[in-house]
Amino acid sequence: MTTLPTPPRARRRFQAAPYLFVLPYLLIFASFWAWPIVSSFLLSFKDSRLGAAAPWSVANWSRLAGDEFFRTALKNTFVILIIQVPSMLLMATGLAVALNSRMLRARGLFRFAFFAPLVVGTVAYSAVFRLLFNTDFGMVNRALGGLGLPPVDWLNQPGPAMAVIILALLWRWTGYNAIILLAGLQGIREELYEAASIDGATPWEQFWKITVPMLRPTLLFCLVLSLIGTLQLFTEPALITNSGPGNATMTLGTYLYQQGFRSFNFGYASTIAYTVAAIAAVVSLVQLRLFGRDT
Amino acid sequence: MKKMILLSALTLLTTAAAQTSLSGTVTVWSWDVAAKALQSTIPGFNKQYPNVKVDVVDLGNQNVYDRGLAGCAAGGADLPDVYSIENNEAEVFWARFPDCFTDLNTLGADKLVKNFPAFKWTELTANNKRYAMPWDSGPVVIYYRRDLYQQAGINPATIRTWDDFLAAGKKLNTKFGNKVKIATIANGQDDEWFRMLANQNGCFYFNNAATQVTIAQPGCVAALTTIKKLNDAQVLATGDWGGQITNIKASKAASAIYGAWYEGTIRTNAPDQKGKWGVYLMPANKAGGPRAANLGGSALALPASSKNKAAAFAFMQYALGTAQGQVAMLKGEGLVPSLLSATKDPYVAQGQAYWGNQKIWQTILGTLGDVPQARGTQYFQDARQIMIVVQADYLKGKYKTAQEALNDAAKKINSATGLAVAK
Repeated sequence: MTTLPTPPRARRRFQAAPYLFVLPYLLIFASFWAWPIVSSFLLSFKDSRLGAAAPWSVANWSRLAGDEFFRTALKNTFVILIIQVPSMLLMATGLAVALNSRMLRARGLFRFAFFAPLVVGTVAYSAVFRLLFNTDFGMVNRALGGLGLPPVDWLNQPGPAMAVIILALLWRWTGYNAIILLAGLQGIREELYEAASIDGATPWEQFWKITVPMLRPTLLFCLVLSLIGTLQLFTEPALITNSGPGNATMTLGTYLYQQGFRSFNFGYASTIAYTVAAIAAVVSLVQLRLFGRDT
Repeated sequence: MKKMILLSALTLLTTAAAQTSLSGTVTVWSWDVAAKALQSTIPGFNKQYPNVKVDVVDLGNQNVYDRGLAGCAAGGADLPDVYSIENNEAEVFWARFPDCFTDLNTLGADKLVKNFPAFKWTELTANNKRYAMPWDSGPVVIYYRRDLYQQAGINPATIRTWDDFLAAGKKLNTKFGNKVKIATIANGQDDEWFRMLANQNGCFYFNNAATQVTIAQPGCVAALTTIKKLNDAQVLATGDWGGQITNIKASKAASAIYGAWYEGTIRTNAPDQKGKWGVYLMPANKAGGPRAANLGGSALALPASSKNKAAAFAFMQYALGTAQGQVAMLKGEGLVPSLLSATKDPYVAQGQAYWGNQKIWQTILGTLGDVPQARGTQYFQDARQIMIVVQADYLKGKYKTAQEALNDAAKKINSATGLAVAK
């Protein structure tokens, strides 16, 4: 029979100390972060409109499977994802390269100017967009009129309303991404460009062969962030178009809100939330797989 | 006799003592003109209760609803002392949070029952509890621009049916080269027109027992058909709450259809159009049919978490339970009282300068008795969100007939609420 030596007391106390130190955080984490996540998963199996006595059921999940509104919200979200995210990243990259250029004067001013939209309060900027795109009195239609073009009923027609949302997102987030990409650009060593110039590479070749590959991790970061952001998109469709007309600009975020806080059906809202989280996880994984490998 | 005098002196004394003993701040949440209306009752209230400070916060309609639900869900956290609530949306609160609001009977509201029409109480009582006190109601009328109608050669007295209304819209189109529409509809943002027209025809999302989905019934089909006809004839402009007000200010809409509470909205937003406006009854579905409906109408509730219930209830009783309070709100913001004694106030019989000296309150209140009942139930928002989309899709041409559209709406409301569709 072998007996394991008992570790000295002092040492054991030493091991407990770090846990004691992080305990307050762990408690807060468990009660305000982990528990709500578990709780909302449980809620998705209850009809929260019936109160605490509601029986367990999969009714919310079967409703989701046949819910036309959910499909519309999913479709709208993906339309924004496919059109807005790539165009935004393309513009942001161009902007970042321009901002990084030595030929540019007052660079600080430009950097601030492009980042400024993010500082503006969302409610204020949404109100401004609503005014700009007002059918009868908006500046955009005035401008179209000035060019001899017919006015567009921006906020009351499905297609134009979606266009307004995408434009608003572009205005707000392009500069933000450009600043992150700019940080990435500044991390690329000068020597690489110097060496390339000596070898006779044109600026265009340098951009494709050095800038883009070196910028790849930053681009991926921006892409994944934008993707998750778009899947949770709420502010713009809620404040500019109110998800309308009809549900033409309803996103997963606004549908979740509508179910949760308008109909006060937390069970169903939790079901939607879990589905959105699952989609975000899958899409991010695919992105990382496709673009994340080092080459 | 001596005893009587003594007794009444004693009661006077005790009530006077009670009134001055009430103090503190009463916070009230409300919206737009309703908030302004409540504000206008404060001076009168403070004459009786000088030590109570009333603080009316205008959060906007949707915000009051959203924050109220969130506050109730959080066990009554961050709620005001007096909470404004629309009758249609009231039942969701009583159903999901039966303990969030004070049973007003415990404060003596059961003695006030007869002072209000019975229909105003239906959505405010549940499980033998009286959760809120009736405030205003929203008898629907048509507000119209006298000058624009006249220029287009329209006599509002001859508009008796929606077909007449459509014809009038065409006259306006012709006269003003499509620059002035007869009214603005909130298609895609709201379904108010559908609710008003359906209610007029005795139809609504749900039956009055709140057991069945009745949206595909003939009255509702007729309502939606009318809306489509008007829309297809291009006599309507499209705009949400703000857009409608803009159209009124810019003289791009010659009329507006809403509950009586919209009187204050027009009057305060377009003060320069004083004397140019008038009112007539909503057109009927068929000649000789009912020309009345109700849209909106609110109540005041007292959150159970209020620290100052006595003062809060005193304010509610003054603002809603006395003719002075109610008439102050009618004068200021055009909120139509549901307090029966206030509807007989001499002010109601006066001509109103803004409305070309028309006795509009007599016209509006005269329809109250003809309003068919409708009940919001706790699923009001579910049904409304579905109907907003179905109406927009139908106007766009997604469905062949109104019946087909409403059958689909009924199916969707059934799947969202679990309530059976009425045969």
